[in-house]
Amino acid sequence: MLRSILYNRYTITFGTIALLAIVWNVYVIFNDDGIVVGHVVTSDGSPVENATVVLSEKTLLVTSPRDKTTTDADGRFKFSGHDIYHVYLEAYKNGVGHAPQKDYHLYFKGQNLYLSESLEIEKTQ
Amino acid sequence: MHRYPRWPIHLMLSFICTLMLIPFVWVLKTSLTGENIFTYPPSILPEDPHLFYYVDVWYSIPFFRYLINSVIVSAIVVAANIVLNAMAGYSLSREFAGKKIIIVLFLSCMMVPFQVTIIPAYLITKELGLLNTYLGMALPLCSTIVCIFVFKASFDAVPKSLIDAARIDGLSDLRIIFRVLVPLSQSAIATNIILAFIWSWNNFLWPLIIVRDQAMQTLPLGLSRFLTVVEDTTGALYAFCIMVLLPGLIIFLLAQKQFIAGLTRGAAKG
Repeated sequence: MLRSILYNRYTITFGTIALLAIVWNVYVIFNDDGIVVGHVVTSDGSPVENATVVLSEKTLLVTSPRDKTTTDADGRFKFSGHDIYHVYLEAYKNGVGHAPQKDYHLYFKGQNLYLSESLEIEKTQ
Repeated sequence: MHRYPRWPIHLMLSFICTLMLIPFVWVLKTSLTGENIFTYPPSILPEDPHLFYYVDVWYSIPFFRYLINSVIVSAIVVAANIVLNAMAGYSLSREFAGKKIIIVLFLSCMMVPFQVTIIPAYLITKELGLLNTYLGMALPLCSTIVCIFVFKASFDAVPKSLIDAARIDGLSDLRIIFRVLVPLSQSAIATNIILAFIWSWNNFLWPLIIVRDQAMQTLPLGLSRFLTVVEDTTGALYAFCIMVLLPGLIIFLLAQKQFIAGLTRGAAKG
């Protein structure tokens, strides 16, 4: 009786869906600190200190700036506590140049994002 | 042993199935890539597929709320259909005066489109105080004539001696239905579940009329609202379509064997 209840396609299908939902939610709980970490560099690869990095949120309708920070001596920047699922990052430094906007899709709100590619500031002439 | 080779038939059926599946594959592909549906030449396989349009849909509208609303309404409809249709089907499988007239009336009512009765249905629901409620949304689909006849056909196939024996044992009509006949009618139950679920899940017009609160909207209403708010996101729109379709598809695939058996039950009777 118990075997027939457990081993039928309804239990297996909905059980698998429930299990996947639980695993996904556990993963989300451990990875939703809203951290965005990256580097800002010039075109020759050297880090840019005191560059301003703007974090924007893009939804299907609008893009709106949410936070702003500056880079340290290594060109590193860090945001934390955001609750965005589609991130736009933009960097600039007065007198040096501007890095074009880059967008990053995330799978859930506040997903931690460690950028593998640096934001590259193009020097203004 | 067949007189003719079977492969040409299978080849033709496979070709027709492929043709029928193309729109679904197209919707799925667009939901994963967001490419323009008018892109020429069209590609069969998605290029750089991702799930981000599904994420957009999930967060752009209260999708989970709509999903829960749809699930609650469908659950009420399915439960009511099984109970009420089983009782109605049992009564029609018995002999009583005026049975033929009632069957003819039922069959005639099937030809009346829902749009014709929508104003009286609305007024009745209003008088019952069920506007903007789950029960109000479920009410018109709580019993459907097609499903009553599915149960009737299934109960007709049960030997009369079995019912007589149950009656001799002292079972009431209600217990005969739910203790004897319903357990023997699994295919009819599966057919009821699938049809009731799909009709309820896809129901758009009735919820549109009686639901005023945004928090009570179901998925088809959400899709309509999504279309009015977001006009230029093909990928997200198609992702939404897939998310709306998926539960019905899963239910159908799980119960298709019993569903087909239920629909053909009684066809070979006699």
